[in-house]
Amino acid sequence: MQILIYGTINSVALALFALGFAMVYGVSRLPNFAHGALYVLSGFITWTFVNSLGLNYFISILLAMFVTGIIGALIYQFVLIRIRGMEISEIMATYAIGLAILEGLRWGGFRGMTYTLPAFIEGSTEIAGISVDYQRLLVVGIGAAVVAVLWLFTHYTSLGLALRGMAQDERAAMMLGIDSDLMALAAMGFGSMLAALAAVLLLPLGNIVVEAGYNVLILAIAVCIVGGLGSWMGAVLAAFIIGFAQILTVVYLGAHYQMVVALLAIIITLILRPSGLFGRQKELEERV
Amino acid sequence: MLEARQLMVFYENMLALNNVSIRCEENQIVGVFGANSAGKSTLMYTLSGIMEDIRKKEEMAGGERISVLGDITYLGEGIMGMKPSKRAKKGIVLCPERRRIFKECSVLENLRIGGYLATPAQAKDTLEYVFNVFPALQKLQKRIGGFLSGGEQQMLAIGRALMAQPKLLLLDEPLLGLSPLIQAVLVRATREIRDEMGISIIVTEQYARPVLPIVDYAFILENGTAVLEGTRDELMDNPDIRSAYFGIK
Repeated sequence: MQILIYGTINSVALALFALGFAMVYGVSRLPNFAHGALYVLSGFITWTFVNSLGLNYFISILLAMFVTGIIGALIYQFVLIRIRGMEISEIMATYAIGLAILEGLRWGGFRGMTYTLPAFIEGSTEIAGISVDYQRLLVVGIGAAVVAVLWLFTHYTSLGLALRGMAQDERAAMMLGIDSDLMALAAMGFGSMLAALAAVLLLPLGNIVVEAGYNVLILAIAVCIVGGLGSWMGAVLAAFIIGFAQILTVVYLGAHYQMVVALLAIIITLILRPSGLFGRQKELEERV
Repeated sequence: MLEARQLMVFYENMLALNNVSIRCEENQIVGVFGANSAGKSTLMYTLSGIMEDIRKKEEMAGGERISVLGDITYLGEGIMGMKPSKRAKKGIVLCPERRRIFKECSVLENLRIGGYLATPAQAKDTLEYVFNVFPALQKLQKRIGGFLSGGEQQMLAIGRALMAQPKLLLLDEPLLGLSPLIQAVLVRATREIRDEMGISIIVTEQYARPVLPIVDYAFILENGTAVLEGTRDELMDNPDIRSAYFGIK
């Protein structure tokens, strides 16, 4: 029972890490290696709004999500737009930006265990005899809501449908008047906002530390590779597989093997099924 | 409506289009006929602006050097070098070769993605019109695009292009690999679209005969060069053309 509850919580957390990354990659084929940095950055932005400017906690959260979204969009508009299509440069540039953000934060004095965000609702409850705090329940609830909202957004709104079209066939979408750069910009904005949302939900469970940025990035990539790069629903499913595998490892082997599970999942997937569970392998174009 | 003058397209040193000039008047159906590798798709990509995107990406990745020379005037405005999405906004919509429908989306979603540029009212009207022209699609609304037959996919591709509110529709080999029965349906629909929506159409084909009855004016491409042009009747009178492209002895 404990495994079931904490496995679910962990899985939803992983899904939240990964959805932003999956969205950006799905729409614009950009591997956003600054994803983890944006996650940590939005945590510190929220902290600054609350503690230095004295704003209301929930307003700070909304503002931080908005600011992070803008930062993501700016990264695309000023850096990535120039190197699109060159995969290695994309990885190096986004990773460099991520490093700059994280190490810049560390240099700017955000280190140690002193930075925390308060839980939305303090306290805990018991489910089937196992104590679970409200924040973790909120993570599951909001995580499920995010998946539902994303699904509705990509199936019923004009922008969401255009993003999906762009993800499937960029040129075909262009022929219909959908602008590739605008969609990539939107995807980076939304993806960064999702990273920020994950941060404000999950950071109250611990400290805001710079190192989390690297872990979040690795976890997000692991989930996306297992689920199939670019597939959003694959990412959700893979989050549950890795999430439960991690909790089982923690229970039966020990907590410090947690990261190994994610990395092992990448390796096993790449050996057995390189395109992931729901990945699209490039079909050979048939010549008629 | 659209006039392209002296188009030259090079892939590295290979000449894909050599000094091609074509034009399409308001409310006309213009045919462009030619064999494989005559440059039909290159021409369509150049007119719709996709060539700009290909060129830009190749340049960024350090791949093939593509040069596009010449001049395209559309509704009195030069559109050389303009992004494809901007051209689509101005009304030039390409329905590409081999259809390229969104295979993971349903028929209705494909059409709604096509309606990205349309206002809600336009999208509603056009959707109704598409189902009117292609009644087969109406029953398949929920079907995933990848599970459609070739003919259904082609209908969907044309319907999707119509949703983008074109003034000039570019159809790149719409009849490719389809049965004569479906070909007849598509040809009839093409004429209906011109007659009822007032959309000008440029259509390419390898084999001209099925589309010939609806074409007002046609160009023949050979190895990237426009070797001949004329009204339908003028081309029909040329014995070489008749046997090479129309299959009439």
